[in-house]
Amino acid sequence: MLRAVSTMTDGDYDYLIKLLTLGDSGVGKTTFLYRYTDNKFNPKFITTVGIDFREKRVVYSTNSPNGSRGKTFKVHLQLWDTAGQERFRSLTTAFFRDAMGFLLMFDLTSQQSFLNVRNWMSQLQANAYCENPDIVLVGNKADLADQREVQERQAKELAERYGIPYFETSAATGVQVDRVVVTLLDLVMKRMEQCVEKPTPDTQNAASTAQLDSAPASQKKCAC
Amino acid sequence: MVQTMEMINVSFLTDVERELILEVLRRDEELRRLEEQRVKKLKVEFLDIKRKGAKRTDGSYSEHSCGRCQEPLGRLATSNQCPACKHQVCQTCRSIRANASWVCTVCAKEAELKKSTGDWFFDQRVNRFSSAPGHDLVRVSLRKRPAMKKRETTGEVLLNSAELNSSLPGPVPRPRLKDLAVGNSSPSSERLARGTTDSAEKASLSSSGRTDTDSLHSSPSGHRKADEVNKSSPAGSTASSVAPLTKTHSRSGSTASTETSSLIHHINVCSDSLNDVDGLFKKSVRRVHKISDFKPTSVMDLRKDATEDTGVSMGDRSKSVPGLNVEEEEEEEEDIDNLVNIHRRTVGNSAYSLNSSRSTLGSMMSVYSEAGDYDTVDVSGDIVFSLRYDEGTQSLAVLVKECHGLAYADPVKMKCNPYVKCYLLPDKSRQSKKKTAVKRNTINPSYNETLKYSISRSQLSTRTLQLSVWHYDRFSHNAFLGEVEVLLDCHDIDSGHEECVTLRGKVASSSAKSAFAQYKGELVISLKYVSEIEKPSQKQRGRKAKAEDSGELHVLIKEAKNLSAVKAGGTSDSFVKGYLLSSKGKSTKKKTQVVKKTLNPHYNHTFVHKELSLEQLKGMCLELTIWDQEAMSSNDFLGGVRLSSGAVHLKEGKKEWVADSTGEEVSLWQKMMQFPDSWAEGTLQLRSSMGKAK
Repeated sequence: MLRAVSTMTDGDYDYLIKLLTLGDSGVGKTTFLYRYTDNKFNPKFITTVGIDFREKRVVYSTNSPNGSRGKTFKVHLQLWDTAGQERFRSLTTAFFRDAMGFLLMFDLTSQQSFLNVRNWMSQLQANAYCENPDIVLVGNKADLADQREVQERQAKELAERYGIPYFETSAATGVQVDRVVVTLLDLVMKRMEQCVEKPTPDTQNAASTAQLDSAPASQKKCAC
Repeated sequence: MVQTMEMINVSFLTDVERELILEVLRRDEELRRLEEQRVKKLKVEFLDIKRKGAKRTDGSYSEHSCGRCQEPLGRLATSNQCPACKHQVCQTCRSIRANASWVCTVCAKEAELKKSTGDWFFDQRVNRFSSAPGHDLVRVSLRKRPAMKKRETTGEVLLNSAELNSSLPGPVPRPRLKDLAVGNSSPSSERLARGTTDSAEKASLSSSGRTDTDSLHSSPSGHRKADEVNKSSPAGSTASSVAPLTKTHSRSGSTASTETSSLIHHINVCSDSLNDVDGLFKKSVRRVHKISDFKPTSVMDLRKDATEDTGVSMGDRSKSVPGLNVEEEEEEEEDIDNLVNIHRRTVGNSAYSLNSSRSTLGSMMSVYSEAGDYDTVDVSGDIVFSLRYDEGTQSLAVLVKECHGLAYADPVKMKCNPYVKCYLLPDKSRQSKKKTAVKRNTINPSYNETLKYSISRSQLSTRTLQLSVWHYDRFSHNAFLGEVEVLLDCHDIDSGHEECVTLRGKVASSSAKSAFAQYKGELVISLKYVSEIEKPSQKQRGRKAKAEDSGELHVLIKEAKNLSAVKAGGTSDSFVKGYLLSSKGKSTKKKTQVVKKTLNPHYNHTFVHKELSLEQLKGMCLELTIWDQEAMSSNDFLGGVRLSSGAVHLKEGKKEWVADSTGEEVSLWQKMMQFPDSWAEGTLQLRSSMGKAK
């Protein structure tokens, strides 16, 4: 099994950013990541055993709104894939604490997977590195329009409630897949900036209010 | 959080699943090592900048000079203050931020560093979980172990523990309930206790001390019922469940049902058992092997530290050796934080202590001091010190008293700020390095400082104490003023009487170098004699007489450390081969699997030798050798150990020879026989040859 990883075994990158996908079993977390890292689609359902991760190196550039020139960084993405299955739960949630950002995924063709989103949110809020980590809500399998069970409006409403961006993607066609990761990476990088600019004890509060503020902004980016 | 970590339950996994997960974790480990190296490099770079630029307040501090480049400042002093560190800084030493404000270059670099090392994230995480009250703190203080390494990840912890788990049928002492009660009440353990299918309701019945946020820990399926009720307005119900989430981590440190006990992970057991004070035997075994055994995270760290090309050139033997105090290791971890603090503290505090700056900057210096520029000084004088080994604490105390008539580092200016550095060779790692304070402007410094090493007596016999005297120079490299070496195998370390030894210069490739060549690393193993295997089907009276013969010797090959590299790139694909040799010439050969690309392999493999009596074992010898696997040629020998009760006569083929086991090799073997049915663990120095005495 050849991975893109083999070419990335050097330490020549500026940031290691760890992201994690979560959501019900079968919503397409693994295929999503496979599409993102390898730009391929595997229609077979192979349930993830516990945890896995994929890697990708990307170039991230900051474009400051206030005119100062943007910088580019090499970012090494470690994309954790978690098993959606219940039986691995204690294991997978333990990995939440090591991730800097989260892709919370549900299946647009499964109402149940959407309903479980808030349970996943709770899991996140309890186990992540802080109480309001950067999250992107992802409705996957957008290509299966005829089997759709979750309406865009519903999902958007929910995302808005949480103040997180929402995207509808298809790992099968690749639609919006890159966009999701880029958005999340962007949020994480911004969070990072906020964290170091206010190195006072109230960093956390500062970061959280900033997060709330930035949420609507990210919302606008949603192209749905 | 640390509990959360320790209690990841993996017992529900099948073997195949476990293997798959381990594979993932190993891949993660690779990435982690890469990251580790990168971070280390960054931190060293930062220290360098800091050292060059930062204003030190021990000298004359002028309010009117730039805190970075020392250039004089203009008159508008107030506007020159860096908002972060409050130093007065000139125009050129500033870094403009995105929001048009500025900070000084060092503060900017510091922020950069926090980002690129990921410390911003780890700081946040520590913030979040450190507020957990009660047992966290209790545990920490009881164990003298940090709650969690800041950068520790789940993968790391799990990899360690899962490996333990997968190949250990149960060698770790059973957890004691009293120990477990401490750490039981974390959400994750409750999750475990419930198993995977239990409902939230049941869980809330089964344990006390839960908060109303408990339901959040239950799995989505546990919520399904509720979901259906709320279906009509998912958004509304969402809001209600989000709100109370925030304080989940502040669970109470009180009781939890003991039924969760058995689910607690081994890793927890390990650290807990440090605390266990009943049973003389256990106590003594533990003390000796404290590090390798019971500080899983630290062990992990040692391993990481040993990765090659870290860019922090501490020599290729800078790898850590177990048996010494690990806390030192953590000091390094905090170096940056320390520096930052010092950097901050300097403001308006011109009398801040030099000590703190020495502890951080000094340690960097000595990295450079190894570079070998010591021929400029003619060595003179002597050093007065005493050694005393304390059985009770299993530690060697090196009392550095004073030096007389040292050479001046700079004979013209009569400059000499001497300090003494100490190593237990062959270990040249940070753990082995200890230093005294710097004495200013004297060639007859008096220190009266005690440097302590936690190490077993048997291990000591393989070490050489090296005391070297250095001139501390703030502005250039430290100058070497002389050294002495004391072989500890033939030295009186009990009397503690004072010795005065003449300092000598660096002898090119002296005993230190040759000891190096001999140093092949260490092997960590555990031995257990299982006295009687009770097979329910064969539990007949008649067999009792033969019970002696049905004993088994379990040899757990845990890990090796600091192996010598054979392959390019400084790694080895190694395995351990074991022979149990007897006087009758019988031998049984066993092998572990090959662990690839590491000089610190974790084998976690158990050899079981059956049908042995204790009487037989007395006359037997266990040889464990480590080999580098070569695909195309014969395997390379990396080192070995020979365990027996001493000068045992053995027969191999037609040749007869005598096992020459020494020190730890003998004591571990004896411990195993003395205490059947319990594990005796030891860290053994590897032999560089397995030559046999006739």
